[in-house]
Amino acid sequence: MEKPRLMAETVERLPARHNNKILTGDSKMDMYFILFAAMAVGAGIVTIIAIDALISAMGLLTVFIALAALYLHLHAPLVAIFQISIYAGAILVLVVFVIMLLMSPDEQLEKVQKNLQFKFMGAFLAACMIGIAVVGVRDIAERVSSVSLPENFGDPALFGKYFFGEYLLHFETASVLLLVALIGSIYLAKKKL
Amino acid sequence: MMGELTQYIILASILFGLGAIGFVTRRNALILFMSVELMLSSVNLMLVAFSAFRADMAGQVMVLFIFAVAAAEVAVGLAILIALFRHVKSVDINKFNVLKW
Repeated sequence: MEKPRLMAETVERLPARHNNKILTGDSKMDMYFILFAAMAVGAGIVTIIAIDALISAMGLLTVFIALAALYLHLHAPLVAIFQISIYAGAILVLVVFVIMLLMSPDEQLEKVQKNLQFKFMGAFLAACMIGIAVVGVRDIAERVSSVSLPENFGDPALFGKYFFGEYLLHFETASVLLLVALIGSIYLAKKKL
Repeated sequence: MMGELTQYIILASILFGLGAIGFVTRRNALILFMSVELMLSSVNLMLVAFSAFRADMAGQVMVLFIFAVAAAEVAVGLAILIALFRHVKSVDINKFNVLKW
C-alpha cells in the first residue's frame, strides 16, 4: 500500500545511513520544522498577549495549523487532518461563537492581571517547564531516535486497526464522556439553572 | 544542530510555557480557555513526536482521545461561562467571585 506521506520523494533520496525516515541531516527539512515552529511560537505569543479575544482566537487557529503541518512531518497524516477538522474546525468555531455571544465589540478587558505577582508566577511556570524539558531530554535523543520506522507507519488503515482493536474500550469510554459533556452543557446553558 | 526529538520537545515545552503564562496572567476567561487549549496542543505535539521516534502508533491513538477530552472540556467550560455571564454580565475572572470566601 502506498504510504500517505508528505514529501515522499525527499525521503527516498536520502543516503542509506539514515535508517530513521524522519529526516535529520537535510537542511531543507530542517527549514520545514523551523518555519512551522516559528509560526507556532509567534502565533502562541499573539494568543496570550492580544487584547481582543477574537485576535487571540485567530492566533490560536494559526498555532493549530502550524501544529498540523508538524504532524504531517512526523508521519501522522490522520492526526493532522483531525487537528484541522476537530480543533481548528469544531472547537475553535465554538470558542469564536461564544466570544461573539458574550463580548461586545468595544469591551476590552485590561490586558493582564494588575498584580505583579501573577506575571512573576507566569514567568516562573514557563521557566520551570522549559528548564525541565532541557534538563530531562539531554540524552533522550540518542536513546530513542535509532528506531527505524516500519513502512506503513502512520497509515490510516493501521491507525484504524489500533483504534478499533486494541483501544476499543477507550473509544467507547470516550463516547460516554462526550455524551455526558453534551448533556451537561445543555443543562448548564439553560435559561434557568 | 540539536537532535531531532529534542527540538520537538523544546518546541512543545515552549508552547506549554506560553499557555501557562497566559493562564495565570490574563483576566479574560475566554483567553484563559484558549491558553488551556494551547497547553493541550503542546502535549499532543509531544505525543506525536515520541510516537514517530519510537515507531509506536499508540501515541497517535492517544492524541485522538485527547481531542475527545478537549472537545468535552470546551463544551462544558463554555456552557459554565455562559451561565456565569448571566449572573455577572462580564467575562472578567476577577469578577467571578461568588465562590470566594
